Amino acid sequence: MTYTSIWIAFAFVLIALLLSLWQRLGLEKEIAVGTIRSTLQLLAIGYVLHFVFHSDSILFILLLIAMMIAVASWNAASKAKKLRGIFGRIALSLALTELVTMGLLVTLGLVSPTPQYLIPMSGMIIGSSMIVCSLFLTHMNREVETSRGEIEALLCLGATTRQAVQIVLKRAVKASMIPTFDTMKTIGLVQLPGMMTGMIIAGASPIEAVRYQILIMLSFSSSAAVSAVLISMLSYRLWFTRDSMLHS
Amino acid sequence: MSTVMEIESLGKKVFASADSWLFRDLNATISEPAIIGILGKSGQGKSTLLRILGRLLAPDHGTVRMEQKAMEQWPSALWRMKMSYVAQQATMLPGTVEDNLRTASMLHQRPFDQQLARALFEQLHLEQVEWTKPAQQLSGGEKQRVALVRTLLLRPAVLLLDEVTASLDTRSKLATEQLLVDLHKQTGTTILWVTHDLEEAKNNCERIWFMADHQLQADMPSHAFFQAPPTEQARDFLQTSLAQAHPDAKEVHHI
Repeated sequence: MTYTSIWIAFAFVLIALLLSLWQRLGLEKEIAVGTIRSTLQLLAIGYVLHFVFHSDSILFILLLIAMMIAVASWNAASKAKKLRGIFGRIALSLALTELVTMGLLVTLGLVSPTPQYLIPMSGMIIGSSMIVCSLFLTHMNREVETSRGEIEALLCLGATTRQAVQIVLKRAVKASMIPTFDTMKTIGLVQLPGMMTGMIIAGASPIEAVRYQILIMLSFSSSAAVSAVLISMLSYRLWFTRDSMLHS
Repeated sequence: MSTVMEIESLGKKVFASADSWLFRDLNATISEPAIIGILGKSGQGKSTLLRILGRLLAPDHGTVRMEQKAMEQWPSALWRMKMSYVAQQATMLPGTVEDNLRTASMLHQRPFDQQLARALFEQLHLEQVEWTKPAQQLSGGEKQRVALVRTLLLRPAVLLLDEVTASLDTRSKLATEQLLVDLHKQTGTTILWVTHDLEEAKNNCERIWFMADHQLQADMPSHAFFQAPPTEQARDFLQTSLAQAHPDAKEVHHI
C-alpha cells in the first residue's frame, strides 16, 4: 500500500467531519485528534517494529513488551482509580500472563522465537488480558458495592478478608472471563479476527491464517484465566483497609 | 478479674477531612458483663459507635481495649469473633437457612452445634422455618432472628446489637428479649444494645449509655436513668420518646 492510498483514505474522516458539522454534533475536535493520534501512533509503531525486527536484539523486544504492559496496565488501572497500588498489580498480572502464555508457545515449538512472531502475539495476549483485568475491576467494584452487607456479615462472624470476599471475587473472576469464551463461540461466524484478516490481505493462504488464529484463540483461553485469577489474588486486599475493614 | 472493655477518648468525624465530630472524647468502662442499652436521638452516632466497636469502621480518634489490649493489637478477625455486630438490616448469605447457620463453624473449622441451633430456633419461635429453605426467601423478621442465631453460634463474649428487634412482631420481640437476657445470665455475655424502644431498654438493660451533644452524656444504672434523667437532653429525649410511643401519655402522666 502506498502513502497516496493513505492520503485518499482520509476521505473517510472528511465524511465524519462533514456529518458532525451538518448535524452540529460538535465532534470535530474529537475526530481530528483521534485521526492525527491514531495515524502518528501507528506510523511510529511501524517504524519501531521495522527497527526492532532488523536489529534482532532481545533487549529491544523486551523493551517493547514492557512498554505494551505499561500502557495496558495504565489503561486498565483507570477503571479503578480509587484503588491505591492497582497499577503495579495489573502490571505484574500481565507480565506473568505474558510469561506463561508466550513461554508455553515458544517452548512447545508452536511459534518461532523471532521478533516477527513474539511482538505481534505478545501484543494480542497483553491486549486481551488487559480487557480481562479491566472487566474484573469493573465487576469487582460493582460486586463489592452491592454485596457490602454480605461481606460485612461474614467479617462480623470472624471471617478473614479472603473468606469474606470469596463469593464476590468468584463472581467477578467469572464475569471477566465470559466475554473471551463467548468470542471463541462465535469467531468465524460473526466476526473475522483482525490478525487473520490482516494475513489474508497480506497474501497468506486463508488456511494458514486460520491456523494462526486458532493458535491465538486457544492461547487467549489460558491467558484470560491466568490474568483473571492473578489480578483477583493480587488485588482483592485493596478493597479493604489495613485493618480489614471495607473502604467506605 | 479483667475488665470487659474500655473505651478511651473515642471520636468519629462526620466527614474524614472536616472538623465536625459525630461524637468525640467518648470514655467508658465495662468492668463486668452487663446488658447496656444505648439510647439517644437519631444521628447521635449510636450505630456508628457499634460499628467502630465491631471493627467495621475506623475511629478518627482514641481506641477501645478488650482484655486490656488495644484493638489495634488484636488480629481483626479474632476481635470480631469476640465482639460481634448484628446489623439492623439482617443480611442473609447465599444458600439455605442451614448454610447460614453453619457459616461460623465452616469459617473456623469448628463442629456445628446443631442442638444449640435447634434450641435457639425454638426459643425464637422459628421452629416452623425449614432449614432447607433458601435464606433469601425468609421474611424480614425471620431473617433478623436467623442472623441473630448465626451470630450466637459463634459464642462471642460481647454482642453488639443494632436495633435487632425493630422489625419483629410483639411475640417475636419479647422472645428475642428473653433469649438475650437468658444468654447474659447463663453465659455472662455482655450485650451493647442500641434501641429506640424505651420499654425494651427499661425492662432488659442493667445500664444505660445516653448519647447527645456529640458525647456520652450518661453512663448509669438503668433504673436511675429512667427515674431521674441526669441532663436536660436526657429528660427531653425521654419525654419526646414517650409522647411518640404513647400519644395519650400526657394525660396518663397528669393522672
